[in-house]
Amino acid sequence: MKVSFDWLKDFVDVQAAPPEVADRLTMAGLEVEGVEDVGDDVLFEVNVTPNRPDCLSILGIARETAAAFGLPLKTPAAEIGGELLPAGVTVEIIAPELCHRYAGRLITGIKVADSPAWIKDRLEKCGIRSLNSNIVDVTNYVLLELGHPLHAFDADKLAESMIRIATAGDKASIATLDGVERKLPAEARRIWDSRRPVAVAGIMGGEESSVKSDTVNIFLESAYFLPSSIRRTSKKLGLRTESSYRFERGTDIEFLEKALDRAALLIRETGGGEVHAIVDVYPRKYVPLRVEADHRRINSLLGTDISKDEMRNMLSGAGIRTEDHGEAFAAFPPAYRRDVTRYVDLAEEVARIYNYDNIPVTLPKTPLSGGGVTRKEKDREQLHESMRKSGFTEVINYSFMNPADLDLLALPDDDIRRRHVSVLNPLRQEDSLMRTTLLPSLLNNFVYNISRGAGDLRLYELSKVFIDRGERLPDEESRLGGIFYREGLPSIWKEEAPAFFTLKGALGSLFGELKVGDVEFVQSEEVFLHSGKSADMVREGRKLGFIGELAPGVVESLRLKVRKPEVLVFEMDVEVLLSFVPETLRYSPVPKYPPIERDVALILDEHITAAAVRKVINEFGSPYMEDVELFDAYRGKNIPEKKKSLSFRIIYRSPDRTLTDDEVETVHQELVEFILRETGGEIRG
Amino acid sequence: MDELPSLKQQFLEETDRISDLAGLQLVRAKYLGKKGIVTSQLKALSSVPADKRREYGKALNEMKGFAEETLKGLELSLKETEKAKRLLAEKTDITLPGRFTPFGRRHPISQVLSEIEDIFVSMGFRVEDGPEIELDYYNFEALNIPKDHPARDMQDTFYVSDDVVLRTHTSPVQVRVMEKHKPPLKIIAPGKVYRCDADVSHTAMFHQVEGLMVDTDISFSDLKGVLELFIHTFFGRDIPVRFRPSYFPFTEPSAEVDMGCIFCSGGGCRMCKGTGWIEILGSGLVNPRVFEMAGYNSEDYTGFAFGMGVERITLLKYSIDDIRLFFENDIRFLRQF
Repeated sequence: MKVSFDWLKDFVDVQAAPPEVADRLTMAGLEVEGVEDVGDDVLFEVNVTPNRPDCLSILGIARETAAAFGLPLKTPAAEIGGELLPAGVTVEIIAPELCHRYAGRLITGIKVADSPAWIKDRLEKCGIRSLNSNIVDVTNYVLLELGHPLHAFDADKLAESMIRIATAGDKASIATLDGVERKLPAEARRIWDSRRPVAVAGIMGGEESSVKSDTVNIFLESAYFLPSSIRRTSKKLGLRTESSYRFERGTDIEFLEKALDRAALLIRETGGGEVHAIVDVYPRKYVPLRVEADHRRINSLLGTDISKDEMRNMLSGAGIRTEDHGEAFAAFPPAYRRDVTRYVDLAEEVARIYNYDNIPVTLPKTPLSGGGVTRKEKDREQLHESMRKSGFTEVINYSFMNPADLDLLALPDDDIRRRHVSVLNPLRQEDSLMRTTLLPSLLNNFVYNISRGAGDLRLYELSKVFIDRGERLPDEESRLGGIFYREGLPSIWKEEAPAFFTLKGALGSLFGELKVGDVEFVQSEEVFLHSGKSADMVREGRKLGFIGELAPGVVESLRLKVRKPEVLVFEMDVEVLLSFVPETLRYSPVPKYPPIERDVALILDEHITAAAVRKVINEFGSPYMEDVELFDAYRGKNIPEKKKSLSFRIIYRSPDRTLTDDEVETVHQELVEFILRETGGEIRG
Repeated sequence: MDELPSLKQQFLEETDRISDLAGLQLVRAKYLGKKGIVTSQLKALSSVPADKRREYGKALNEMKGFAEETLKGLELSLKETEKAKRLLAEKTDITLPGRFTPFGRRHPISQVLSEIEDIFVSMGFRVEDGPEIELDYYNFEALNIPKDHPARDMQDTFYVSDDVVLRTHTSPVQVRVMEKHKPPLKIIAPGKVYRCDADVSHTAMFHQVEGLMVDTDISFSDLKGVLELFIHTFFGRDIPVRFRPSYFPFTEPSAEVDMGCIFCSGGGCRMCKGTGWIEILGSGLVNPRVFEMAGYNSEDYTGFAFGMGVERITLLKYSIDDIRLFFENDIRFLRQF
């Protein structure tokens, strides 16, 4: 809210310079976000929190300023003296639960004209456009000055000079002041005359009954509406005004008469006319709340040592009357402080006045120890570190995805990743789904970086995805995903493994780091991957995730010029992966006796995988076989068509003695024969 | 015996001509080998007349020792020279680059999150997690923000349905933890939150760290103590900290925490909008209504809660001026951290 310092001084005779006032207000909870010089005035931009509607006015800010500096508050003149003409308008509240008080005054014989410069000037400084109508300008002036929204009707347009406050019912349409025909929700309150609706209560007046340049008689309204109801209607209509903003936060029901009179006086001053007697229907009288307080409890909550009398003085400075009850006291917040309802609210008032900076700084009696991180957090940290050490840089993407992404990946209709959660009010359509896989974001990162000249890219992300399984809330599952691309520009040191195996190796180190063994790589069914260069990672029948080269179609659809078509990706279900991390580790003795190594070079049908041969070797199961290592895989010259060669090194060792060459030779020959029999292969000469 | 000095002379001349280890071996064989001159003469000692044998034998042995020493010394120095030659031949261009795969980097947000977590864990806080897609109840109602409450305007909310939202803050974790555990509680809840808002200083998603401490006797002064300790640990001992009144529906009293501007040391600059102070976190004593809604007896417990924006802290830490950089994931940006 914009506050004119000059206007503020109408109510409080503060001598301090504006920056100091701004600072005091900030420290009292009214954050002054900006101080701006405008001509011979200074404007404060004050951030008023939703609990303090009483500060949505110059008077409210002045009240806080007065309290902060210990100065008296001067309230504006609002006495309408002398004999008055009869009220002339009847008011009937049909929905008292929504409208607790409705007051108004008829003013006859006015002249609608331009406002005087001082009104225009103040309005415009505080951000409200002057409307060439002294009547509207005065209602806005009083709204800014006293925080109370007012509305002026053309009294001659009110059928039978009658005002009724009732719900909209099903006759739910009205043309408002802004020239828009609005459909109202049935529960919205409207002001009616004897026949038609004339205003949307607390939000905006109707066009028909509005004050125009030829208006002579007006009816000025000052009312109290139930905040939550104003807010509901305003939200449903998508219509927010200075009035609704204040009504929905709560206005001062006791003070509204003062605001009405102040406006009536200003109208008489600027447009002439005769002010009539007040009509005031007040079916729900304000009863001040009684809040029980105990200074000892407040002190223990704040960590202070303030005496009861001191505390009561502070509260009285904040406009809160108190009553001494010996040990404790009772407090009665004024009607403009409906946010104060419990002892903690009083504690905040005390703290505010005492100044937060004066409250001591202590450490809790609860010991500041015993914290720690769980196994799961440590494991996740390992995932990050493993990826990082394999050269992958972490990305963090928005949790959104584009509906088109699912089609880009050509996911089948029954794929779990199609069970997404949609956002009803996304910022853009492209961000309207919550991610069910990290892949689309990683592809975006890839396109973004490659099109900006990156040649090599290793990126990973560890984030949640959201799968709608029909419960109230979706499943939130952690995924570790990554993308790997190597342009393969000439490099001084050669000998690089194909991209697939480099990525597989990175995941291999990760499994090793977590001590998750026996992960199998089996043919993957993922449709967005190259069918010949992709794998599902499986352990004990549970799928950890996939790894592979993107299918050519997917890469093409990225419409990116890449030097190499191989773009590799992976994604893993973190919960499944971490479920295989062993809880405890057991030491196995370091071998005392020397190993004996034997190699075997095989020629095999090309479809026999390395994993299959390894499995055969493991099945052979000699107690002396300690380790098996694949050290050569070859296809080409000297190997027949449709065949390939695999060479293994077998390490033999006994835990309790030195093996002899002869006994190893016997076992090894048996193993070789077993392999040849099981695989149908032959020895490579 | 008379020829011994000339033998020595001859030996020295030949030794001088040795240029490599092979030459040295030849000389050694010639004098000291099985059939070498010195060896042969020693063997022939018995034929020397008895009166001269002793003296001659001594001289011969001296000659042998001298030859051995000389050749040994020469051999050592020749070996050194040859080694040096070989190493020189193997000289490599040490300015060629090393071969390595550079380690990757953690995202700056991730690094700052870890740093914040470590500080609170060292103060005895546990780390908790909660859903990012959250019930309206936990995101708002249980935090004393009923439907139709103006405080809902403080946060632009993404809706999934009438009663399901993308959480707008990490505060719902407070309630979820209190529903499950009895005090004393000391937790932090880091995570992603969402607001329907995007410009230079706002992104639709960002990270927060929530904190909650509950026990029978927690005061506002304790809140000040713990948060000051945090700020001093993170930003440095000498940073001034101030608390000023604010409003959050789920805390009462509420406090905004500012720290002295680290860019201008309080003099006033663009980063602190000339105030000398930078807003760093929101906090307050847990509102008794929140305790009640979580099923605690609000007469028995007090506590404090706080929340901070991780992006904001990271911006400050590295003097970054556009929050959107965090989610563009430009490798040239990410590799700087």
